[in-house]
Amino acid sequence: MHRLSVARQHGAYEMLQKALTMEPAQVVELVKASGLRGHGGAGFSASLKWSFVPKDKFPRYVIVNADESEPGTFKDRLILERDPHALLEGALICAWAVQAEAIYIYIRGEYFYPTKIVNQAIEEARANGLLGERILGSDFTCNAHTHPGAGMYICGEETGLIESLEGKKGQPRFKPPYYPAAIGLWQVPTIVNNVETLAAVPWVFRLGPEEFAALGTPKNGGTCLFSLSGCVNNPGVYELPMGFPLDGLIHNLGGGILENRKLKAVIPGGSSSPILTAKEARGIRLDFESVAAAGSMLGSAAVMVVDETISIPRLLLWVLRFYAHESCGQCTQCREGTGWMLRLCKQLLEGKGKSRDLDDLYEIADAVDGTTICAFGPAVAWPTKSYLKKFRHEFEALVRE
Amino acid sequence: MSRIEIDGKSVDVPPNINLIEAARAAGIEIPHYCYHPGLSVAGSCRMCQLEVEQNGRKALVIGCATTAAEGMKISTTAERVLKQRQMVLEFLLQNHPLDCPICDDAGECELQNYYMKYGLHDSRVELAEKYRKHKVIDLGPTVVLDSERCVLCSRCVRFLQEITGTGELGIFGQGMDSELLTIPSVRLDNPYSGCVVDLCPVGALTDKDFRFKRRVWYLKKVPSVCQACSRGCNIEIYYDIRHPYKGPGRRIQRLKPRYNHFVNEWWICDRGRYSYHAVDAPDRLTTVQTRSSNGDSAPNIKRVLQEAARAIKNAKEKHGTKSIAVLGSANSSNEDLYVLHRLFTQHLGVHHFDVSLKSEPSGEEDEILRKADLAPNRRGALEIGLRPAASGKFSGDNIIRAALAHEIYVLIVVRHDLSLVLRPEDFNRLGNLDHLLYLGEHESPMVGIAHGVIPIAAWAERDGSYTNFQGRVQRTTQAFPPLGQARPEWEVWRLLGAEVGLTIKAKTAEEVFAELTKNVAAFRGLTWESLIPSGRMLAGVPEPPYRKVRTARPLE
Repeated sequence: MHRLSVARQHGAYEMLQKALTMEPAQVVELVKASGLRGHGGAGFSASLKWSFVPKDKFPRYVIVNADESEPGTFKDRLILERDPHALLEGALICAWAVQAEAIYIYIRGEYFYPTKIVNQAIEEARANGLLGERILGSDFTCNAHTHPGAGMYICGEETGLIESLEGKKGQPRFKPPYYPAAIGLWQVPTIVNNVETLAAVPWVFRLGPEEFAALGTPKNGGTCLFSLSGCVNNPGVYELPMGFPLDGLIHNLGGGILENRKLKAVIPGGSSSPILTAKEARGIRLDFESVAAAGSMLGSAAVMVVDETISIPRLLLWVLRFYAHESCGQCTQCREGTGWMLRLCKQLLEGKGKSRDLDDLYEIADAVDGTTICAFGPAVAWPTKSYLKKFRHEFEALVRE
Repeated sequence: MSRIEIDGKSVDVPPNINLIEAARAAGIEIPHYCYHPGLSVAGSCRMCQLEVEQNGRKALVIGCATTAAEGMKISTTAERVLKQRQMVLEFLLQNHPLDCPICDDAGECELQNYYMKYGLHDSRVELAEKYRKHKVIDLGPTVVLDSERCVLCSRCVRFLQEITGTGELGIFGQGMDSELLTIPSVRLDNPYSGCVVDLCPVGALTDKDFRFKRRVWYLKKVPSVCQACSRGCNIEIYYDIRHPYKGPGRRIQRLKPRYNHFVNEWWICDRGRYSYHAVDAPDRLTTVQTRSSNGDSAPNIKRVLQEAARAIKNAKEKHGTKSIAVLGSANSSNEDLYVLHRLFTQHLGVHHFDVSLKSEPSGEEDEILRKADLAPNRRGALEIGLRPAASGKFSGDNIIRAALAHEIYVLIVVRHDLSLVLRPEDFNRLGNLDHLLYLGEHESPMVGIAHGVIPIAAWAERDGSYTNFQGRVQRTTQAFPPLGQARPEWEVWRLLGAEVGLTIKAKTAEEVFAELTKNVAAFRGLTWESLIPSGRMLAGVPEPPYRKVRTARPLE
């Protein structure tokens, strides 16, 4: 599939041809009708983002966010490695819809092999008139470039990614005014979309918006790639319709919990989403609204299964270690707060914890939550707060005094 | 104008200002570290968080990056605002070394100030748990960094990118390891490097010139104007005369820029910043000297002036006014130059006078602040009339030539050191004039050849006004009395006037200035008070357009 000849046999770039015969505004309308939502984490409507581009500002760019670095998430890699032409086609349709002149594919630095494949795909597409000047004989000219990241989690945040792409330190910009659709790369309108989102765009055209939308739930069009990991027998990436039952994913497709142990909790949307206890997780459906109603978020649809043998404080230590290391260091609360929380959590696990530490931990997480430039603050605060709230007894057991 | 409400107080604010400035206009302080009105907005310290109610929705926002809009209701005292301020302070202080007793910034540190106002929490961190970073990092010739005190506000980084365009500093590392440092192999060495110390809200960046010299609470300050070039940057003189045993004789401890919209905004150059050393230099002239007093224990100014007056009268009678020449100085204040002009050209009818020499040293000029003309008051001298305008009058260089050619018999020199422009044998021949009167601040070869030497007060030791290159008249303020027998230059001319029959009633710089505004057209309409705080343009000179101090190409 990653070879153009094979991909074309499966219909690659046919939908691009179709989109190029439509007006850009019609393309946006069509995607809107499909209910396609961003699969990067926030679940923002893809077409709405595209329609935010100011009318008179040029040039414009499309950025493919392939800096997949949320712990537990490994779905974009699959698309990059196995079906890069679907991504390119989707990105080109998006570029046509917003009249962008270049596509930048920002791939996380550790993805050497996917980068190679995508570069190969770009070369093949260019050689066959699918990229570059006058694509498929139309007036549309658009180029694509890959850009490897340098291994920073925060460069997956769209404005951090843009800063990094501009050659600066990957530190997010504050919004307002730096909404990328208005002021993005090099200060011009930029659409930043996740790999999976763009790779789904050709399918919106192939199936038609109604049929695509009907795959999922009313507010969540199409399918979703779930990265299932943790204590299950069959971890992996599953493409399922939006609104698929969580129990079905874990117990049927996932083959149940390892060694038939008991389910303790589920992290439904990557490490930054609040944890759901086994009780809370029972019977929920995997779409943005249902997971939110259960008190968590679908995020990047990385479902991590936690069984009874896992210690939640240890899990928190693992999460905090990651976030303390990856904080960009710009905002005070996040820079100092992540380190402080990590220190407290370490002390707890080393048996040096004081009873006050649990409240402190919660208070610090609360101060970091929603008070920083980007969503990194909530991303570390939500797991911390939810672990503490829902499994407080496990933490209390560690306190000596 | 849009109307907003801050803590229940209605204020009208101009368009496109942020909430920190809007609150400032309403007299409400919003604490902040990373925001500085002269720099781009970073939005990273999170200290200026406010609760804003708009369209019925309340949200916590940062004041620096939020533009005031019609109908906004802002609360600086909402519970979550206060909580956030306290938490931000606690975050900033958790790894702070608390070395205030040896920190130069103690007393003017925003960590201390804000802690007392908004923090007052007990520390939850054991000393041994504190995260250690580098200390005493030598960044360049003027600045030392203590990383542990740094709050990573990035003001200095932005200053070096946006104002000087040199970009020597950056914040390296991520998360807790973030640390301010110079770019590898680069030193923080540019003509404006000292400004980063002013910008630093805490004691992370300290000035090598001021480090460990005085606690700031011993310092007094007066507003003044920098004398290092013709721009006339507004400054504050920080001085301490109560502890003469500390740093012998050093009265001025430091100069800091003072905001002036039209002249220098928030900045000054390093040359100006460290120019104050001349005021307390050991080579200051402090005593009146005459050649005839060799061995005489206490010559007084009256005797020196009497000798000079006698020589002037003699020369005038024997050889006419063309035999007398005055080489004044463009470093003198408007008052000095006015009384000089009044005495020599109006009263004595002296023919040859100038303030400039072709070979005067010039400085480097740039688009930021520095001017090539290093004299602070050349414009003033020109406006007052001290220029060799008419034909037959000598320019400064011709005055010296004429003195060597025995056409000048009495020469009066202010500040200029002619040994720098003349060959030694020519210079020594100046001593053969009938009379050479020298007024200066510092020891120089001129003292050796002059018949009379009168020490004059340095700019910090007297009140005065100076006209910068734009035509803006600005005031300096006396910080402390002159050393020894030194006195303001205009007072010397006033006393000399008394010896030659000219009575000048004015007894203070203010009174001299009042007389100046009456008699010199360019100064008409100005008053002494109106020069504070930011100066006034000369009559008929339009206010220059406000030019934001920026490098040619700001970094994005």
